Amino acid sequence: MSAGRLGFLMACGGAAVFLCLAIVFLLAIGRPPLTTLAQMALYGFGDSYSFSESLVKATPILLCALAVILPARLGLITVGGEGQLYFGALTGTAVVVAFPDGPAILLLPAMLVAGAAGGAIWSGVAGLLRARCNVNETISTLLMNYIAVLLVNYFIYGPWKDPESLGWPATIPFPAAAIVPTLFGTRVHLGLIAGVVAAVILHVGVTRTRWGIALSVLSGNRKVGVMAGFSFVSQTMLVMAIGGMLAGLAGICETSAIQGRLQAGISTGYGLTGFLVAWLSGQHFLRAVPIAILIGGLIAAGDALQLYSKIPSDSATILQGLLFVAALGASGLAGRWSARHG
Amino acid sequence: MDSQVYITAGSWVAAMLRSSTPLMMVTLGETLTQRVGIVNLGIEGQMLCGACVGFAAAAQTGSPELGLVAGAFAGVSLSLVHAVLCLGCSANQIGSGIAVWTLGLGLTSYFGRAAIGGKVSGLASIAGPDFANVPFVGPILTQLTPVAPLAIALVLFAGFWLYRTRTGLNWRVVGESFDASRALGIRPLLVQAQAIVVGGLLSGFAGAILSVDYTQTWANEMTKGRGFVAVGLVIVARWNPNLVLPVVLLFGLSEAATLRLQAAGLTVSPYLIGCLPYVVCLMCVVIVSLREDRIGGMPAELASVFGRRH
Repeated sequence: MSAGRLGFLMACGGAAVFLCLAIVFLLAIGRPPLTTLAQMALYGFGDSYSFSESLVKATPILLCALAVILPARLGLITVGGEGQLYFGALTGTAVVVAFPDGPAILLLPAMLVAGAAGGAIWSGVAGLLRARCNVNETISTLLMNYIAVLLVNYFIYGPWKDPESLGWPATIPFPAAAIVPTLFGTRVHLGLIAGVVAAVILHVGVTRTRWGIALSVLSGNRKVGVMAGFSFVSQTMLVMAIGGMLAGLAGICETSAIQGRLQAGISTGYGLTGFLVAWLSGQHFLRAVPIAILIGGLIAAGDALQLYSKIPSDSATILQGLLFVAALGASGLAGRWSARHG
Repeated sequence: MDSQVYITAGSWVAAMLRSSTPLMMVTLGETLTQRVGIVNLGIEGQMLCGACVGFAAAAQTGSPELGLVAGAFAGVSLSLVHAVLCLGCSANQIGSGIAVWTLGLGLTSYFGRAAIGGKVSGLASIAGPDFANVPFVGPILTQLTPVAPLAIALVLFAGFWLYRTRTGLNWRVVGESFDASRALGIRPLLVQAQAIVVGGLLSGFAGAILSVDYTQTWANEMTKGRGFVAVGLVIVARWNPNLVLPVVLLFGLSEAATLRLQAAGLTVSPYLIGCLPYVVCLMCVVIVSLREDRIGGMPAELASVFGRRH
């Protein structure tokens, strides 16, 4: 069987298993499964408003997925999207809190650069620990997620708390000069375009340049890569920093365009969802774009179901878990099949 | 005066043991799982499930013991997902662990909202209030519940079992070489499945201890990454159950110390203090990883999952 056909069968099998699991779950919570699934599709993509809301959710998910895929090209598994997103939101907000009256032409770029730099630093620490100290990047990024969330909480409950917010833990509302522009009168913002452009650039980078060869040689056999003159240390730092940059950008865009101020819960698990999207795409930059939009639709539909059908939106998290289980099972079995039959 | 010092020291030890009991259980479980070459990041989700189901069961029946048992079984059922994915479908272990975590997170926040605000009574302490003024052991016995000595006994037993019995040897062989164990007539997949289930049992139990006995409340995501901290501590303890006890206790001491300092008037934001467990855990992992080649201890089968060396 050709690789393409195996991949197709794997995707179909995974989707079928997911649908079965989803139906079992919906039956278990006493909802008519087919109607609810149809409703979800409608709430996710039924009209232009639902679609735009799905794109809003898809934006941070896509950026966080890219932050997982690029390190994966070097054989690194990071689960740090959430922490990088929060830390990027923190450093980006620092600029706004320091210069709330700055002109848009300076404030907006400075805020975005600071947010991206924050994410890059947070992820770069894990990269440095991996490259220099041989610390497993999965563990370090998982632990650093919790630290970043607590740091944001520290600032919004402490030094940056807006005295006029009547006890609500949040910074001052961002001035108009620090709001990321939105598109076509919807809540969809420039972050989405940044994500799609980044996906294309990274795809070209890893498939068409010397850099891409360096990554694939180093991830296949590090000794050969080092002998060929590639540096594992600097490549690790580079992919982690670029990944973190994108996740940090997601954080500051979410804070500025969607929330309008830094407050608790800027992300509802976008980092984790991004990890799921990266795996569903088979660590492929371009495939991540439509998958991120699909999963964004699932989450937006979860919110809508909570509003209209009183199904708690956590059901979307359960469905994500089931989707992940189905996809991992299918890809594992496909991998085993191709190992046995060449 | 002297007896006062002993009583203070005793309550320190009690506080340290009380806060580290859940972590001890879950670290032991993950140590045993990783000893056979399986990494399970899903213990965070299993712990959450144990905490949620255990709390709900204890609140429904009014019996904390039943809650602990129910929590342990909830951990086992979620760990079966990891076993099926990793062993049955040859799925990636890290990915599968994150999937199990996601499931645990979603299921507990969905079904856990019914349990929010419920009331449970924790386990009775080992000794009644009459013992409170006995130097040193008094505060320990009156503040601790039986789960703390149980956790210590389990850790000691696991160390003995792993290094001194035939089945323990089998487990270690599976972790060192899957193929060699098969040649020896051990069924490695069966051993790995058992180890995942044991890890599920202990992590679910740990979660139930946390919600039923320690905090006596249920809140969303209440384990706050303790499962991931445990994965870090397994590395620090070099996959050796005998080292789990000192590592977890040192970790618990640092936590208890910050709580005491805070109580003594040190005014630092609770959010910054909350960072401490993760920072300490990460620093410990960095220190042992720097000396990785010299101290060794990693089961060889793990190297292909997450221990890639230079």
